[in-house]
Amino acid sequence: MNAQSVPSVFDGTANTIAVVVLLLEFLMLRSALLRAQVRLYAVQSLVVSILAVVVASGRDVPELYALAALSFALKAVIVPWLILRLMRDASTEIAGSGALGVASEIMVAIVVAAYAFFTVSLLDIHSDVLPATALSLSVAVVLVAFVLIIMRRDVVSQAVGFFSLENGVSMVSLVVAAGMPLILEVAFLFDLLVAVVVFGVLMRVHHGRTHSLSTADLTRLRG
Amino acid sequence: MNMSLAPWLIQVAQVGTIVLGAPLVTGVIARVEAMLQGRHGPRVLQPYYDLAKLLRKEALAPSGTGPFFWIAPFVAMACYLTVPLLIPVLTTYALPLGFMGDILGGGFILALASFVVAVAAAETGDSYAQLGSSRAKTFGAITEPVVLLVVFTVAIVTTTDLPYVLGATVRSSPDQIVRPAHLLASAALFMVILFETGRIPIETHTGTTEFGMIEEARPFEHSGPHFAVLRWGSMAKQLILFTLFLNVFVAPWGMSSTRALGDVLLAVVLLLAKACALGCVIAVIDCSFAKLRLFKITEFVAAAFLLAVLAIFTLYLGGG
Repeated sequence: MNAQSVPSVFDGTANTIAVVVLLLEFLMLRSALLRAQVRLYAVQSLVVSILAVVVASGRDVPELYALAALSFALKAVIVPWLILRLMRDASTEIAGSGALGVASEIMVAIVVAAYAFFTVSLLDIHSDVLPATALSLSVAVVLVAFVLIIMRRDVVSQAVGFFSLENGVSMVSLVVAAGMPLILEVAFLFDLLVAVVVFGVLMRVHHGRTHSLSTADLTRLRG
Repeated sequence: MNMSLAPWLIQVAQVGTIVLGAPLVTGVIARVEAMLQGRHGPRVLQPYYDLAKLLRKEALAPSGTGPFFWIAPFVAMACYLTVPLLIPVLTTYALPLGFMGDILGGGFILALASFVVAVAAAETGDSYAQLGSSRAKTFGAITEPVVLLVVFTVAIVTTTDLPYVLGATVRSSPDQIVRPAHLLASAALFMVILFETGRIPIETHTGTTEFGMIEEARPFEHSGPHFAVLRWGSMAKQLILFTLFLNVFVAPWGMSSTRALGDVLLAVVLLLAKACALGCVIAVIDCSFAKLRLFKITEFVAAAFLLAVLAIFTLYLGGG
C-alpha cells in the first residue's frame, strides 16, 4: 500500500529533530531582532545536542553523551551569553533589512534547501547510524546558513549565521561519522570558540569605528 | 445494544453529527476563550439559542439585490452538508458514498461554498461585505497551494488521496506518526485551518472592528433565517475542518469500526470530545497571540507553505 519503505520510529524521530533544526534556521532568516536571533541560535544548539543524545541512546554510542553535554554547555549557554554580552555595548537592537525582503529571502532559501536535497539524494550516502534524510536536512541547514550570511548586512546576523553553519556541520558529522573520536569533536568545538572570539573582536572594532553594526558602509577599500 | 445499522443510516448520522454538533463546538470554544480571559462567558448552548432566534426573524435584503443573494446561504449549506459524506466522521471504514470524492474533491466543494458566499456579499453593494469577500478571495488564492501540497504529501504517503486510507495508514504503526512529512503536513494543515476558520493570527473571531474583518464581514447584509443559515454553515465548516484534521491526520482513533449502534453512538461522543479539545487549543492560541497586520498574513501563509514544501522534500527526495 505504501509508496516506499517507512522509516522506523528511531529514524523518524531523528529526522523530525533535524527538521526542527532546519526550521529554526529559517526562523533566523526571518527574525528582525538581534537578540531574538541569538536566542534562536541557542535553541538550535540545544536541539542539536538533543539529537546527539537521541543517537547516543538509540544507537548505543556512549561517547556522544559527553559530546552532547559539552556542545550544550558551549553552544547553548556560553556562546550566546558571550554574544549577548558583547552586544550590550552596542545600542543597535534591530538588524537592518537584508539585501532582499523577508519573503524573497525565504523563497531563495527554499530553492537552496531543495538543491541540498537533490544533491544529497544523488550522492547515495548511507550511514548505519542515522537515515539519509537527516544528512540532506543538515546539508540544507549549512546552505541556508550561507543564505543568512550572504543576505544579511549586519555583523551579528553574519556571526550567528556562521555559528549556525557550524551546527549544521556538526549534524553532518553526527550522520556520517557518529563514532568519530571524541578528541576530534572537541577540537571542532574549540575551533568554534576561537571563531566566537574573532567575531567578537570584529564586532567590537567595527562598532567602534562606524558606530553601527551594519556592514553596508564597508564598500570602500580605504576608510 | 447490538443492533447493526444500515450503511446509509450511518452516512446520514455523519452529516447529522456535523450539523447538529457544530454549534456545540463553537459554544465550547467561546466559553473556554471567555474563561481564559477572566470573563464568565456565554452559555455553551448559546449558539443554538442564537440560531433559533435568528430563524424566527424576518429576512430583509438591500434594494437592488437579485435572487442570488437569497439562494447563496442555502447553496453554501448544501456544500457543507455534502463534505461529511466524503471524509471519515464516525467510521474507520468507507461508507457507500465515501469514494465519491477525495480530499481534493472535498476542498473543491468547500471552495465552492466560500465562492458562493463571497459573490452574494459582493452583490449587496455594501462596502464592508465587499471588503470581506475580496480579502477572503485574495488570501484564499495563496492558501490554496498549501492545501494542494498537503494533499500531495498524503498522495505520496498512501499512493492515493482518499482520506480513509491516510487515517488507516496513521493508525497502522507509530512509524507513520513520527515521520517528519506527516508532522509537517499536519502542522501546515493546522495553520490553514486557523486561516479558514478566521482565528486569531488572521482575524478576531468575535471582533467588532470592521477594518480587520475577513470571514466575519461577508454576511453583513444578510438577516433573519438567511443569516442563521450562513452562521450555521460557518460553524459546520469549522467542525468539518476539525474532523478532517483529527480523524485523518492527528488522532484517527475512537471511530467506530463496526456497524453496531453502540459503537456509532460512542464515535459521535468521542468526535465531539476531540473537537472540543482541539477547540480548547485554538482558544489558548486566540488568547496568547495578537492579530497579524493585514499584509503580514502573507507571511503566516508563507510559513505554512514552507512546512508543506519541506514535507514534500523530506518525503520525495529524502525518503523520510
